[in-house]
Amino acid sequence: MAESSLTDAELIARVVVQDDRHAFSELVRRHQSAVRATLRRLTAGNHALADDIAQETFMLAFRNLRSFRQESKFSTWLYRIATNAYLADARRRKEELLGDRDAGVADDEGGDVPSAETGGPDPARAATLSLDMDRALAVLSEGERAAIVQCYHNDLSHEEAAQVLNCPVGTVKTHILRAKQKLRSRLAAWKPH
Amino acid sequence: MNNQPLSPAAAADDWLDTVLHADGREHRAAYLDDAGFTARVMTALPAPAAMPAWRKPALALLWAVAGIAVALALPATLVDVAHDVLRLLVGQRVSLAGIAAGVVALGSATWLAAALALRED
Repeated sequence: MAESSLTDAELIARVVVQDDRHAFSELVRRHQSAVRATLRRLTAGNHALADDIAQETFMLAFRNLRSFRQESKFSTWLYRIATNAYLADARRRKEELLGDRDAGVADDEGGDVPSAETGGPDPARAATLSLDMDRALAVLSEGERAAIVQCYHNDLSHEEAAQVLNCPVGTVKTHILRAKQKLRSRLAAWKPH
Repeated sequence: MNNQPLSPAAAADDWLDTVLHADGREHRAAYLDDAGFTARVMTALPAPAAMPAWRKPALALLWAVAGIAVALALPATLVDVAHDVLRLLVGQRVSLAGIAAGVVALGSATWLAAALALRED
């Protein structure tokens, strides 16, 4: 049977039982976009770093696939690994990252701003919003950024985000509240007048 | 996000929720082209654990030794079983077709066992 017609659970079983590399490559192909997009958000638009962490995420997933209990969706489990890998990397790079991004955000303040409306599938507007969002997310703490990305970017509930971030639901809510307080001023240009 | 607003202050941030949701929708809708990513991951995976080359001959030898050991340990039983089998065969009228079928079955079983024992992992 072709790998593409199998469910995630069937592919995982093939990898675990038979060490089937084709099955694992199908899993990577299926989930790479979501994982890489999440990490691009978490790294505030650093695509190269995001792809490095995404690769590390899938390597960790391969090594730990036996411990995946299928209690949550495979994608949720991957988000969890990706977020942990990102947080570990962020801890290592913290000073360098904060320095670079603070400078970047300061340089951009007061520059051209888009209009406040957000409706309508306009690619230019979406690209501008995406850039502004990357810059705005850069001022958040890692925990706040991770909570925003899981709840809005990945559309998870607070409970699911808590599972991914391995913290209580209350902590997720606190992160979201604090993040929004910071984002309110950073994204003020998008507020309808 | 499926949850309700957390507080009146959060409710006042409807525009921010709208902006965050709009950005999230855009990102979820955009599929990132693989562009060799899967191939890079697969290349970086640890090599499959290969069985050492001496494993199969060693296993075959082990089974042979075990079989001979059993045969030597139970000589009387083996002789009895052989006599009984011979008596059964002699007592029955066996046709040429029957003998041929037996030879084919025995050959198939031997071939199957050899193929299984010598198959590539």
